[in-house]
Formats: sequence, C-alpha cells, structure tokens
Amino acid sequence: MAESSTNTLRVRLVTPDRILVDQTADAVEVPSETGYFEVLYGAAPLLAVLGAGEVRLHGGEAEGQRFHVARGFVEVLPERVTILAESAQKPEEIDTGAAQQMLDRGHKLWNEAGEDAGKYAHAEEVIEEAESRLASAKGGAK
Amino acid sequence: MANVLDLRRRIRSVKNTRQITKAMKMVAAAKLRRAQERALASRPYSAMLAGVLESLKRRIEIHDPFTGDLRHPLLETREEKRILVVVVSGDKGFAGGFNANIVKATTQFLNKNGKKEIDIEAIGRKARDQFRRMYRDAEIPQASGDEHAELPQRHRSGPIENYGDHTGILNKIEFEQVRELGEDIVARYSRAEIDAVYIVYNEFKSVILQRVVVEKVLPIIEFGQRQVADSQELSAQDRTDAAKAAATSGVSVREGEPEANAKEFEEEAKKFGTAETDYIYEQSPEDIFNAILPRYITSQLYHAMLESVAAEQAARMTAMDSATNNASEMIDSLTLTMNRVRQAAITKEIIEIVSGASAI
Repeated sequence: MAESSTNTLRVRLVTPDRILVDQTADAVEVPSETGYFEVLYGAAPLLAVLGAGEVRLHGGEAEGQRFHVARGFVEVLPERVTILAESAQKPEEIDTGAAQQMLDRGHKLWNEAGEDAGKYAHAEEVIEEAESRLASAKGGAK
Repeated sequence: MANVLDLRRRIRSVKNTRQITKAMKMVAAAKLRRAQERALASRPYSAMLAGVLESLKRRIEIHDPFTGDLRHPLLETREEKRILVVVVSGDKGFAGGFNANIVKATTQFLNKNGKKEIDIEAIGRKARDQFRRMYRDAEIPQASGDEHAELPQRHRSGPIENYGDHTGILNKIEFEQVRELGEDIVARYSRAEIDAVYIVYNEFKSVILQRVVVEKVLPIIEFGQRQVADSQELSAQDRTDAAKAAATSGVSVREGEPEANAKEFEEEAKKFGTAETDYIYEQSPEDIFNAILPRYITSQLYHAMLESVAAEQAARMTAMDSATNNASEMIDSLTLTMNRVRQAAITKEIIEIVSGASAI
C-alpha cells in the first residue's frame, strides 16, 4: 500500500444518492462532453463537463469496473479524480427497455423540433444519452 | 353509571388502537432511519456542486465585460412581481402538526406577499388538497409549435393560483423526477415567467433539531449560502416529545458515527473544484458554469425533499408515540373505573344479601 499510494489515483464517483465509488486506481477513462480522456497519476488539474458515456477504472482496487454516467462534472487533481454525475449505473444494472424508450422519445423530439436549435440540441442530448446507455449495456453482456 | 361489560369493551378497543399506533410508530422509526441515511448520503453531492460554483465564480465574471449582460439568466435579479412557491408537505397524515405547520408557514408567506402574483407548486398530497380548496388551478397556456411566437397571455383568476402538483414522488424520491421539476422551474425563470422561487419545507438536522423554513432558491445570490426568508423552530415541548419517542424506538438523537464520517467527507467535498491551482478547463469556464447552475437548483430541491421526508417520519413517530402513551393512560384510567364499578356491584350485592339475611 505504501508503494501504491505514491502513484495511484484516488477515484470517487458521487451521485445525488450516494458515493458510489471511493477506491484507488491506476488509470481512469472519463467521457467528457467533447470526448473520452484518460487520467493517470500526476495529471494536470482539470475541470470538465461530463458527456454521456462510460467511466472505466483500471488497476488498483477498482480494477475493471465500469459505470455508465450522464450529466455531471469531473475534477482531476494530480492524485485524485472526482466524478459528479446525476446518473451513474453499472452496465448490468441498465434497464435496456427504458433506454430504448428514451431513444424513441429522443427521435420523436428530434422530428418535432422544427426550426428550433435549442430543441434540436435537447433532442440530441436525449438520443446521445440513450444510445450510450444501450451501448454500455451491450458491452456488459459479453 | 357504565356497567362492567361496557367498560371492558372500551378497554379492548383502546388496546387495539394502541397496538395500531405502536406499530405505526415503529414503522415510522424504521422509515426515519432510512430517510436519515438518504438525506445524509445526498450531502456530499450538493456540497461539491456548491464548491465548484464557488470556485468558478472567482474565475469568471458574472457580467460580460463588453455588453454588461449577465452570463446566465439564473443570476438575474428582477423585481419580485411573480413568485413561485414550492411547498413540500407529506402525502399522508397521522404526523402530528407536520403538514399543518407547512401549510401555516406557506399561508403566512402568502399573506405577506399578498399583492404579488403567486403560483403554488405543491409537492405532497396534503398541501395540494389544502390549497386546492383555497385557490383555483391555473390555466397554463400551451406553447404553440413556433418557438418565436410569444407565449399566449396567461389568464389569471386571482392573485394566487395552483400552478401544478407533484403527488406521490415523496413516497420514493427519485432524482430523475426532481430533475424534471427543476428543469421546468429553471426554464420558467429563464423566460422571465417568474421573478423569484421560494421553497417551503421542513428542514431536518436531527430528530430534535428541525424547523420549517421558507427558503429563496432563485435568483441565486450567493452559492452555498442559504437564503432563509422565514423559519419556525420546534417548540420545547415538541422537542422533548420527539426525544422521548426517539429513545423508545431506537433512533439516535445525537449525531452518531455515520454522521461524523459523512461530515468528514462533506468537509472534503467542499474543497471539490476549489484547489488553489489553475485548472485546465476542458470547456470554457462559462460553459461549465452554465451547465452547473440548473443542476444546483435541482440538487437543492432534491435535498429539501429528502430532508422533508425524514422530518415527516420523525413527526409521525413522535405523534404516534404520544398517541400510544395517551392510549396507555386511557386504559389505566378505564381499568381503574372498571374495577371500581365491579367492586361497587359486589359490595352492593353483599349488602343486599346481608340485609336480606338479617331481615329474616
């Protein structure tokens, strides 16, 4: 532990309901709004908005865990990563039926958006979240 | 004078009642414990959100340096003409003065702001039922498909109207539902449909530390700082009752170890995003700021609801405890009367026999 504490990250995944993860890891993949990035020990401090996608934890206590997250923020410090997410689920916990419904709703919103850019953006968000959730659930099945 | 049979029947019925109130008290205590845990578990998240906002605020200007416009519509302060009041009560009764206190606090608030246009958004069946009887439902204009068209003027039947209600979500609070409500409120505030948002709920620190608060949620003036407009503490009598009820149902009154742990985490949570380093911002600070603001509102609503549920169960536990005690007292006094009546009957019979015998 003494050795690992010098070069592992402390990862926290916090949702409005509880602290889901509070463990150490060697590397964390985080889905930001503009794409995935991977955090290693000693990363430069960073603050980003989360996109819909999967947080993947590698090494340390948290080895191999995956969580689907959506809507939140991530703070990276050299020895600590904190992820705040309004929704966070393990892939096997994802309700694919509900996700499919959400996807349909998103497409419906998209079709009804008309000329309004704001509505398009909203529809796109819904679709993105649903799609990433479905993809995440599928990935967990294999 | 009542006869022994009648008294026996009454005692039996009071005993049944006592059994019910006792069971309700234990159920409330169990639910309270769970609600307490949930309220506690939700604290780090809201503390962290407030922390990020606090640190971002130092880094960006709230006002655009060129145009002088506000960066975000939620920070805009307008003259309070139209107010939205979110009232968090319980769905069920049998909780002592819990619902009545909420309604009372709301009514006081309404009276104070009598000249303004007020919308009431009731969360919890009890408040909804009460305000439905007092005020009309609002006719909410439907937005036409064309976003650029002005929303049709809302026709008001009176200064105070019920805007909407959300019953049943308190039973099992899910963040998703609260988010929908929060987003709706944020959208209405951004469109300048409402100028201020207040929330009336029962704050819960522990079984004996509770108060009904009227808190201003929007506009945001200071992050992490709560803007309490009005509050009503528990009376000393209520507090001793609550402490007694807690002691007999195994609920801790003082903050225990889990609370201490949570507190430690909370302290740390407050530092979230506030490290004295220059962050690299993946998105521009404004974008991050704007993304957080609406979530901050939702998180406040969510937190208020969780606390209110805990407070409701605590109030129910206390009420049911005193109901049980009252039933016990009643049984004692009825038993005493019954014994007296029986004794009197026996004495009377003996006297009759004795005097009959001596007459012979």
